[in-house]
Amino acid sequence: MDLRVAFAGLTLKNPLLTASGTFGYGREAAEIYDLGILGGVMVKGVSREPWPGNPPARVARAPGGMLNAIGLQNPGLKHFVEVDLPFLRRYQTAVVVNVVGHDQQGFVDVVQGVTGQEGVAAIELNISCPNVADGLLFSQDPASARRLVQAARAATGLPLIVKISPNVTDPVALGQACKEAGADALSAINTLLGMAIDTARRRPVLGNRTGGLSGPAVKPIGLRIVYDLAAQVGLPVIGMGGIETGLDALEYIMAGARAVAVGTAVFRDPYAPPRIVRELGEELQSHGFENATQAWAAANPAAREAAS
Amino acid sequence: MRGWDLEVTAANRPAPGYAEISCKAPQAVAALPGQFFMLRAGEHPDTYLPRAFSWYRQEAPDRLSFLFRVQGPGTRHLGGLRAGDHLYALGPLGHGFTLPERPVRAALLGGGVGVPPLWGLARNLLAGGSEVLALIGARSGAHLVGAEEIAALGAEVRLATDDGSAGRKGLLTDLLEGEQVDALYACGPEPMLRRVQEISLGAGLPAELALEAPMACGYGVCMGCVVERTRPQDELGDYGRYARVCREGPVFRAEEVRF
Ligand SMILES: Cc1cc2nc3c(=O)[nH]c(=O)nc-3n(C[C@H](O)[C@H](O)[C@H](O)COP(=O)(O)OP(=O)(O)OC[C@H]3O[C@@H](n4cnc5c(N)ncnc54)[C@H](O)[C@@H]3O)c2cc1C
Ligand SMILES: Cc1cc2nc3c(=O)[nH]c(=O)nc-3n(C[C@H](O)[C@H](O)[C@H](O)COP(=O)(O)O)c2cc1C
Ligand code: FES
Repeated sequence: MDLRVAFAGLTLKNPLLTASGTFGYGREAAEIYDLGILGGVMVKGVSREPWPGNPPARVARAPGGMLNAIGLQNPGLKHFVEVDLPFLRRYQTAVVVNVVGHDQQGFVDVVQGVTGQEGVAAIELNISCPNVADGLLFSQDPASARRLVQAARAATGLPLIVKISPNVTDPVALGQACKEAGADALSAINTLLGMAIDTARRRPVLGNRTGGLSGPAVKPIGLRIVYDLAAQVGLPVIGMGGIETGLDALEYIMAGARAVAVGTAVFRDPYAPPRIVRELGEELQSHGFENATQAWAAANPAAREAAS
Repeated sequence: MRGWDLEVTAANRPAPGYAEISCKAPQAVAALPGQFFMLRAGEHPDTYLPRAFSWYRQEAPDRLSFLFRVQGPGTRHLGGLRAGDHLYALGPLGHGFTLPERPVRAALLGGGVGVPPLWGLARNLLAGGSEVLALIGARSGAHLVGAEEIAALGAEVRLATDDGSAGRKGLLTDLLEGEQVDALYACGPEPMLRRVQEISLGAGLPAELALEAPMACGYGVCMGCVVERTRPQDELGDYGRYARVCREGPVFRAEEVRF
């Protein structure tokens, strides 16, 4: 089975990436399998300066998934470029740098800082983190998203992906604004804002009070948003949200995702990414496809039209 | 770290609300005292994430057991396992206790569900020629776990309970009064660990604390399980404010962490 897919000017060896924030910078998984098995690695959000993250508790259980309020703890641009990126360069996989900032300049400085570094395949602007005070600033109105994407576009020639929030009324309008501002692709979905209550302590479980819901529970929402983005915006989409098996990945691909990412499932099963790659090959075959590209948007004719 | 499919060989209820599950485990599982595993079994919507547990006893080279208190959906589910069932274990994970270079007299403090990692520690300390004073506490005598098992290794065991129904009434750390020891090792509820930290810092007595934190992955990728460091790692600036309990811990030196 030929699993290769074209995505925003890149050729991925297969459609499966690991989702940002659920894989660190690859070091831990590399202890148990060769990262070269993966279509790509989307690294934990990188900010200009190191960020400490939120006070604990940062994770809580939720039916069919979990809540997190990590708050983008990360060692910052310098450490990423000097330590983490050289580590990832050792593997034959596409490295997508997830970028975060408190303001437009913060984003642009990281975009500039990683552009031109050997081994960076693409950039993903994370304008959809629900766990930091200004995380959704750029998602709440398409005009500010447009300005941010324009500024990032001017700062890099790398494929530019914008990560779309499910916590907005109209993800398509947001995707449209990103497209007009020069984005090459979209990724969706980030986590959904939620909460858990600790009845014994009579307070929210999470230190940040609210957190982002992820895992199988969010898959139907992810599929709906990916379907709409693919059909109505017409940019290539990386689909994610609750992918646990090769069949889940195929659902996203049929909904219109060019590539997919696995997140929370790696907490339940660290071996999930290589397993899903294997299963996806089997599912494509049993569904009568000759390669991964054929399955794309099989359930979303409008997406096929939008792309042609 | 590796994923293991373990077969349950026995399931017991050592005290009300507690379960011990023993498993057949290949010797390759070889875990150090203080290290832990992420466990899960079957499918259950509220146990999507695995749960963290120290390993407890190794009654034979190819056996490994876990001892836990039933608290919520994860432990309820695991507590329902019977001989012949299977569970998935990821591990061994994290950094365990440091053993002294020379034989010492060590005090091991285990409060409630903090007892499990002390069994292996007591065994290894005793094997290295150290003397072990195991101080074990619980709400009441009926809730004491692990005391007999640790005594059977050859450790001197003293008890404390909140209601005085077994051993001394009061705090576990009170049992340290008048004792001459060279090192402290502790696992248990946070107030107890704070107290051990105070004693350690006050008396200049080396202490190691096995911490707990809500975890998602258990192997370092989610940044969910952090504890605040007393001395942030300078070269990493703000990033170094928090350490991962699953990776840098779960065992920390007492002076390393801020509660
Ligand atoms: C390194 C390590 C080693 C451990 N070793 C042991 C051991 O040997 N033995 C042992 O008994 N335990 C041990 N624990 C603790 C064990 O992991 C927890 O008891 C277990 O995860 C509880 O899971 P649960 O689903 O049963 O309970 P949960 O209900 O998930 O958690 C217990 C409590 O947390 C709160 N809570 C957390 N999340 C939520 C939520 N979303 N909604 C509502 N309330 C919530 C509630 O107060 C609840 O009663 C260890 C933990 C760590 C980190
Ligand atoms: C613990 C955790 C941390 C995350 N951190 C980031 C992040 O740094 N940047 C980002 O864009 N998304 C982050 N996400 C969102 C995921 O990349 C993904 O979009 C979301 O979890 C949905 O996919 P899933 O259900 O497969 O996990 C995080 C998710 C989790 C669970
Ligand atoms: S539990 Fe995920 S980093 Fe520690």
